[in-house]
Formats: sequence, structure tokens, C-alpha cells
Amino acid sequence: MTDLHPDDARPAAGADTPAAELRGITKRFGPVLAVDGVDLVLERGTVHAVVGENGAGKSTLMSVLYGLQRPDAGAVLRNGRELRLRSPLDAIDAGLGMVHQHFRLFGSLTVAENVVYRAEPGRWGVYDRRAAEQRVTELAGRFGLDVDPSARVDTLPLGVRQRVEILKALHRQAEVLILDEPTAVLTPGEVDSLFAVVRSMAAQGTTVALVTHKVREVLEATDRVTVLRDGVVSARLETARTTAGEIVEAMIGRGLKPAVNPRGAVSGEPVLEVSDLRLAAAPGAAGVHGVSLQVRPGEVVGIAGVSGNGQREVVESVLGLRSPDGGSVLLHGQDLAGLGVRERRGRGIAYVPEDRPGMGTAASLSVADNLALGHHRTPPLGSRARLSPRAVRAQAGELVRRLGVKTAGVNAPLASLSGGNAQKVVLARELHHEAPLLVVEQPTQGVDVGAGEEIHRLLLDYRARGGAVLLVSYEISELRALADRVLVMLDGVVTADLDAADATEEVLGAAMVHATRPDDGSSRAGS
Amino acid sequence: MSGLVARLRLAAPAALVPLGAVVVALLVGAVVMAVAGVDPLRGYDAMVRGALSVSNIDFAVASFTAILAMSLAFAVPARMGEYNLGGDGQLALGGISAAVVALYLPAPAIVLLPVCLVAGALGGAALASVSAPLSTRAGVPVIISTLLLSAPAVALTSYLVRFPLAERGSAVPQTSRLPDAAHLPSFPGTSYTNAGLVVVVLVLLLAVRVDSRTPVGYEIRVAGANRGFAAYGGLSVPRLTLGTLVAAGAVAGLAGAIIVMSQPFRFIDDALTAPGYTFAGIAAALLAGGRPALLPLTAALFTVLTVGSAGMERDVDVPRQLGQVLQAVVILVLALRVLAARWVARRARDAVGGKV
Repeated sequence: MTDLHPDDARPAAGADTPAAELRGITKRFGPVLAVDGVDLVLERGTVHAVVGENGAGKSTLMSVLYGLQRPDAGAVLRNGRELRLRSPLDAIDAGLGMVHQHFRLFGSLTVAENVVYRAEPGRWGVYDRRAAEQRVTELAGRFGLDVDPSARVDTLPLGVRQRVEILKALHRQAEVLILDEPTAVLTPGEVDSLFAVVRSMAAQGTTVALVTHKVREVLEATDRVTVLRDGVVSARLETARTTAGEIVEAMIGRGLKPAVNPRGAVSGEPVLEVSDLRLAAAPGAAGVHGVSLQVRPGEVVGIAGVSGNGQREVVESVLGLRSPDGGSVLLHGQDLAGLGVRERRGRGIAYVPEDRPGMGTAASLSVADNLALGHHRTPPLGSRARLSPRAVRAQAGELVRRLGVKTAGVNAPLASLSGGNAQKVVLARELHHEAPLLVVEQPTQGVDVGAGEEIHRLLLDYRARGGAVLLVSYEISELRALADRVLVMLDGVVTADLDAADATEEVLGAAMVHATRPDDGSSRAGS
Repeated sequence: MSGLVARLRLAAPAALVPLGAVVVALLVGAVVMAVAGVDPLRGYDAMVRGALSVSNIDFAVASFTAILAMSLAFAVPARMGEYNLGGDGQLALGGISAAVVALYLPAPAIVLLPVCLVAGALGGAALASVSAPLSTRAGVPVIISTLLLSAPAVALTSYLVRFPLAERGSAVPQTSRLPDAAHLPSFPGTSYTNAGLVVVVLVLLLAVRVDSRTPVGYEIRVAGANRGFAAYGGLSVPRLTLGTLVAAGAVAGLAGAIIVMSQPFRFIDDALTAPGYTFAGIAAALLAGGRPALLPLTAALFTVLTVGSAGMERDVDVPRQLGQVLQAVVILVLALRVLAARWVARRARDAVGGKV
């Protein structure tokens, strides 16, 4: 049983002493200076945004604060007293908590069991289930977190699992809570309730560090902002007195040019025509129940929706990775039924998958080998019986230069690239097919703002050349930046089919969570 | 030029591990010999002479032929992450197939030699191919099915040479001597070293070429690196699995054919599996890290260990099992390669600043 009140770690401190402070933190990984002399002050009872692009050092900094990484120089202070953090256990003892991007929960245990894990209430080593559930109910009530303490975690949606993570930290008396990219997996509605919880925690004296790269969240939910760029602090701002433009400029060192999205004239026969697609629901998957859609040349059709509402199944049916139970998929008017992935790709479908490490790339292969897949049986790289390693490297060099991929060379393993650069490799490979149809899932996931901007521009260029794009994204801003039409999917059904102009954030957000009858047309989605 | 330097720098840590494995193994062997009261330098000198002296080199080269072939039989599926541990069964089936054709097909050498070699390859391939659908349809890992199918295959050949194919009047379980037309031509002045070496080297060259310069070789590497990436690219993993296993079994079967078509020109029970060609081949392939072009080098090393340890036993009275100990130490150290690779990968990831 853990002692929940190590008094020595938490001296009574004056209200003006910061709850936590980082002083002159420097951390280097081999030749790379990840953070360089960074100061960060977390005032008691405030919500403090730590923003920056991927690789700016925000994750490293938070790892230092939570005891996951030891700094090469600098100090971590809690209530004005220096801490020696050998591991996260020390950080937890000192009243720090962290909710990771990927949750660390036991799926087969209940909410209450997860919350009290390692600090269980009980007597003589016997776990007291009722006390645990009471504790969870009490904590949940205090901070406005709505959960059922006796539910099994693996039956819960991601938004609720996140609440379990927060409760876990609160149960261990965390007074400083680090939230690492907490909104990545949430629906717009869940984001709102998360921010309400964050506000209520701050009001009750908890200090929150919110790590994010989404500027809108900074403006909505925080009091202060520390912006990191290339491992140093590039700005310290008061949220109430700053603007989105100022934050972005501090993040990327220049003003953000929003991707220009001139709606071209969409004409011609559909490139892709999906009719009445059906797939049975399975555990954890909504299935698909009669989805129809068309994509024409020069058009980006977006599919909005919370992850797991059938988008994945639609995409896999188009690609031939899965055979549907009913309905048809036509490319240029030809039925693709019975064709495998290779045949479909050969007929002109390029694909940027959501699962980049598991599907879109092979981490251990070189950048050149990653760029060759799908091109390796055709000139100039090769033929059925021949593949020229020199041509593979030459083409890779050309693509790397054209898209500005930052890599030590085309022979470097893909694992050595950052998320944004790995995604550019995937995009370079798929755009190079010059296929009439490009299916893209979450193109800027795990990609920093600057690279995300370039990726959006590449997709719009492709559309301008007459390409047809089917875009699956969970980010409303991305859909609004790219799509000409937006379909909203909920529980395997298209609940709204909107023109880009009508697809405002409110309408989309509402359609993503409330079903409307599929036959009652367009923008009446929502309540 | 700078590109070459960069490539060497990337390759350097990868080369350190296998070299280190050999050095550590030799040091362990030296300690064992010193403890046994033998001067390690004399011991190793005896080992090298046991394999490479004028009188022994002929036999060593024949062993090298078999070990090289068996290393290829392991390395080809390993390239896509499948492990063929059924070399013994494939070797024995290949050998018995070639022997049956040689004994029952009356034909001139020009016909009989290639037909016997092909029969051997088919025998090995047939056995190995069973493991492909077992893996891709029934989900039985290749590493397990190849290993389990090997023993009954060896037992089958054992039965065949004891009963239906047994040489009449002989106490040894063996076939009759194969007809002259089925004897692989020897190099001048040798009795064991023969055209089999040329055949295996040609097959190796073919494998190196397929690996580095054909779409199929690329696809095998892709499937070995990430099955999900392969499926995404439209590659057929079941077909690649079948292809690599058939190729592996064929090479092993070819090795079996070459052995029975060499001195003493018979299929003798146990003679193919007892020398441990399969295990030495696996060790050589592991040491080469799956790169087919390095196999001749590592196969030569394990040939010296295998063949030379007999010479060492004769000259300095160190038991020949020391050779096997050294092989085992090499493999143990190579197992650390996995850890080293993770370490290198983590450093590479950290160097770009954290999460991927």
C-alpha cells in the first residue's frame, strides 16, 4: 500500500510560490539538442499550455517534469523545493500526474480498479471494492467527470477512458497534472467536456499543463502559454492578451498561410462510385449499412466522423483489403468486385493509410525502399523480372528533394525520420503514381503545423491537376481546409452530405454525434 | 563518395556484432583449451590444419558445399522473417529422391546428372512446401511445422534404405552404389570435391541476384520488414511464403542429391544428417545476418569449425565437440544482436527528438 501523503515532499507553500517549475532544463540525445536551457513556470491553479511543433521539445520537457527522462542540466522544483526524480514513481509521490497520449489502462478491469491501482483502499491487503467505487464516484462528482465506476474499461469509448486516466491521477493526489495531446482522440463534444473538467480542476487549485499543437485549444482552455521552437522558449504569453496568429508565428517562426482552397469546376463522370455498401458490424466496429458516395475528377470528398464509425471499413472496401457483404465499388464505371489490392492499385488507386507505422511504411527499410513499393515492377525502376537498385535510389533522391523530406540520405532507415517527414515519404510515393483516385486517411496526424501545411498544399495541387480525392479525417478544420463536399458518418451510416460552404464546425460537430434520418437531406443534421 | 562513407557508417554497427560473436567464441574456446591444459594457439593451429591442410582440404570443400547450400536454405525464408528448421528432412528426402532416380532410370550421364539433381531439389521442395499453407491458412508457424515435419521425413528415408531400397547382403543400411552415370564429375586430383560445388555456387549467385535485383527479392524483404506494409502494397504474403519455402527446400534437396552423387555414391542412413550440415548452415546464415552475399564467408568459417575439430581431436587431444561449442557460442552472441538492433533503433529515434 502506497503512502498517499508523503508530507516531506509537499511543504506548505505560499500562494505565490509556483506549483511546479523547470529551471534551465537541457537535454540532449546523441548529437541532437532536444531542449536547451528551458525555463517553465506553472502557477498554482492555472491551466498552462505548452505548445510547439513535433520535435520542438515539448514531449522531452514533460518527460523531464514527470521523471521519465533525466535532464543533462537544470532543476525541477515543486512548491519551490528541488526534486530528485529518478522515475515517475518519485514524480507521483511529489504530487505530479500525467495522462499520456496512449492510455495505460487495463482493459479487462473496471474503472474503479484502474483508478485505484497501486493505491488501493482496503484492509489487511484485501481490496475493498465498495470503498474504491465510492472514492471514484466522489472524485468524479467533484470534478464533473461522468463515469460508471463498475464498467469494464474495454467497453468504454476513448473519451471516457481518458476520464479514467485523469481520475487515476487525481486519486493519487496529483496537484500538477500533465495532459499530453489530450484531444487527439476526442469528438468535438468530448473536447468541450474535457475542457470543462480542466477548468473545474483549476478552480479547485489543481495546476494543469496542457501539451498540444492545436492553437484553437490553447485559446479556449488555458490561462498562460509557453511556446517552444527548436528546443528553446520562443514566446511566453497570456492567453487573454494574445492571438492565434501570434502563437503560430512563435511556433513556426513565420506567419501561417492557410492552404488556399479555390474550388475548381468539378465535372465529368465520377472516378469512384460506391453504391449501397454493406458490411456487418463486429465487436469494436460499427460496420457499414448502405453507404453510397461519388468522387469526381478535381474534387475532394471528405468523410467526417469520430473514429470507428465505419470510415475504415469503407476505405478498406475501396482498396480491396476487405470484401464487403453487399453493394458495389466502381472505378471509372468498372466494377472492382473480386479484384485484390494489387489489381485495384494497378487500375489507378493510390492510398495514404491512417496507420503509418503498421501499414504505410516499413521502419527498418531504407527511405528508398519505402518509396519504391508499388513502383517496383514498372519502369523506370524495373520490370517483372528486374529491379535496378540504382534507379530506386535515384528516384528516391528525386522525390525526397521535390517534397523537401529531411533525411540523412535515401539509404537511412525510415525509423530515423520524424513523423512529418515519414508522412511526406508516404505521400510522395502515392502521389508519384499519378493515379486518378487518391484515398487519404488522416494525412496530418502526428505531423507538425509546418509540414501539415505543406501536405495540404500537395493534396490541393493534386486536385488541381484533376485528381479525385477521398479524404477521411477526424479534424474538422482539415476537412474545411480541403474538402469540396463533406459526408458525415455515424454508426456506419452517412448522416449528412454537405457542401463545403455549409459544413461549418457547428453543423459537422453536431452531425458527428447525433444521427439524423439519412433520407432527410443535408444541413438539418443535429438537434 | 560521401554516399559510400555514409553507407559504411550506417553498416558499421551492424557488422560489429557478428565479428564480435566470432571473437568471443574463439576466446571462449581458448579458455576451454587452456583449462584442459592445451595451448590454445596449438589447438587452433590443429583445427585450421585439420580443415585446410593439403590432405584434408578435399573433404573440407565437400563439406563446405553442403554447409553453404544449407545456409542458403535457411537464409532465403529468413529474408521474409520465416525460419526453416526442417533442413534435415529436406536434405534426406532430396538425397533419397536422387538415389531412386539414379538407381532406376537407365540413362547416360548427360541426362541422368541433371535429372537426379532436379529430383533431389523436388524432393526437398515438396516437403518444405507443406509448411506454407500450414502457416498462411492454418496459422501454424513455419518455424514449428518445418521442425516437426523434418523428423518423420528423415525416418521415412531411414525405412526406405533399410527395406525396399536396401542393398542386398549388406549389414549397413544403405542403397546400392549408384551407376557411374550418376557420379558427379570430380575436379582433377580430388575425390570428394566435384561439380556439386559449382552447382551450389551458381545457385547462390542466382539467390544474390534475385535478392538485390528483382522485384520478387524486394517484395520478400518488404514482407520481412512489415507484413502490414506488404499487404497494403498488394503483395501476396501466402505466395511469397510458398515461394521462399519451395526455394529453400529445393536448395536443401539439391544438397542431399549432391551428397549421394559424391563419394561413396550411395544413400547411407544417417550419413546426410549426422555431420550437422543443417545446424552449421543455420549458424552461418545467422552470422551473415540474412545477407546472401556473405554466406560463402560464414559457411567457410563453420566448415573449418566442423571439419577442423576432428583434426584438433586427433592432433592435440581436444574433443571434437569443442567445434560445436564454438558454434553455439556464436549463436548465443548473435542473439544479443536483437538487443543491439533495438538499442541502435532507439538511439536513432531519440536523435530526431522523441516520438515518431
